[in-house]
Amino acid sequence: MEREDLIQKWLDHNLNSEEQKAFEKLEDYDVLTKLSNATKGYKAPAYDSDSEYSIIAEKIKSKTAKNWLKPLIRVAAVLLIGFSIFYYTSTLDTTINTTIAEATITNLPDASTVELNSKSTIIYNKKSWSNNRTVRLEGEAFFDVEKGSKFDVITSEGKISVLGTRFNVKQRQNYFEVTCYEGLVAVTYNEQYMELRPGNRFTVIDGIITNEKEKRTKPSWMSNETTFTSTPLKYVLAELQRHYNVSIDASQLDTQRLFTGSFTHKNLDLALQSITLPLDITFSKNNGVIVLQSE
Amino acid sequence: MAQPLHDNSCDEHVFSSLFKKHSKNLHDFLYYKFGSQLNPKDKVQDAFIKLWDNCKKVPPEKAKSFLFTTANNLMLNAVAHQKVVLKHQKKPQKHSTNESPEFLLEEKQYNEKLQKALENLTEAQRVAFLLNRVEGKRFKEIAQLLDISVKAVEKRIYGALKKLREDIEEL
Repeated sequence: MEREDLIQKWLDHNLNSEEQKAFEKLEDYDVLTKLSNATKGYKAPAYDSDSEYSIIAEKIKSKTAKNWLKPLIRVAAVLLIGFSIFYYTSTLDTTINTTIAEATITNLPDASTVELNSKSTIIYNKKSWSNNRTVRLEGEAFFDVEKGSKFDVITSEGKISVLGTRFNVKQRQNYFEVTCYEGLVAVTYNEQYMELRPGNRFTVIDGIITNEKEKRTKPSWMSNETTFTSTPLKYVLAELQRHYNVSIDASQLDTQRLFTGSFTHKNLDLALQSITLPLDITFSKNNGVIVLQSE
Repeated sequence: MAQPLHDNSCDEHVFSSLFKKHSKNLHDFLYYKFGSQLNPKDKVQDAFIKLWDNCKKVPPEKAKSFLFTTANNLMLNAVAHQKVVLKHQKKPQKHSTNESPEFLLEEKQYNEKLQKALENLTEAQRVAFLLNRVEGKRFKEIAQLLDISVKAVEKRIYGALKKLREDIEEL
């Protein structure tokens, strides 16, 4: 038997008794066994798979415990998002717009109604309506307010507070007009507070305050007509352009001239005549632009 | 063809038997390959946790190679080329009474040489050699464990023995 074979078999723990004897007779038997025995000192630290398993079983349990938590958190997250979207949209302010030549009537949450004139916007909050009746207004609107708690209309020019009444608010650039038709209307303008009784109108044009009487029971614009009393022509023309989608060139005129009268919303030519005739003005249409000139 | 009983390792019984079967071998393999300072016990735990996380993808018969590969990679990530340190287990000397100081000194020197020589072996040689000598495993068992041929194991162990003898003589 070859020496190398014996060593191989010894390494493979595969020597039979005969071979074992032959192996022991090898000259390097002592060296080999010494090396082999010394190597045994480098044994890996004892490993107790049972106690190690108990550690890992613990970890796995906590993992599986988290397993049902994960989908639960997902479901909760979806519900939370859904709820917040619902809450957000339900508490969102409601906005109502009208464009040129459009008028619309809207019911507020408590059966009060708002009638919006053309090119106007109101914003209110449905959710908090029961304890906070506040409407933000830009433009012109007629309010018919149910009796109840304080009702506020906030415009960039001033604030109108009422209890239950019918009134019209008109807020345009440098133009602010409140007319009371029924009940009592409180107007706050520039920290100035005043009360309007039925049949009274409060007007601020270019900062000049005037108080007038109003005989009608509802605003003229609701019967498709706009009425002015001693109003500078530029506001009349601006109003005209809110009802007819036209551009008007009045550069050759003194637009500060006062106009008293009304124009219809139904017929542009008729409306133009109603404005120009009393003021001795002629109008001509030029490339879709209406040019106004003094006679 | 026998159908495997389980197609994944998610069952706790399957997992537990896999642990009992492979954890010690895996631990020894890691210890002999990388030494003690990188905590082979923890890596065994980590590898089995990884197996549990991926239990749906790993059938039990593939678990062994999954575990060895995973643990090996975990080690390699941690190693960053640290030097292997094997610890000589300080067992109480069997015949400590009537040994001369010269003999004790000689033995100490021999052990130091052996340790250096072992550290100088390639990883493959050291793992195979120590599994064979220390754990008393036969070539066939080591071949199965490392997924290599018996011939390769033979070569590694014999090579390791030769190199150790040379190194010890030299030092």
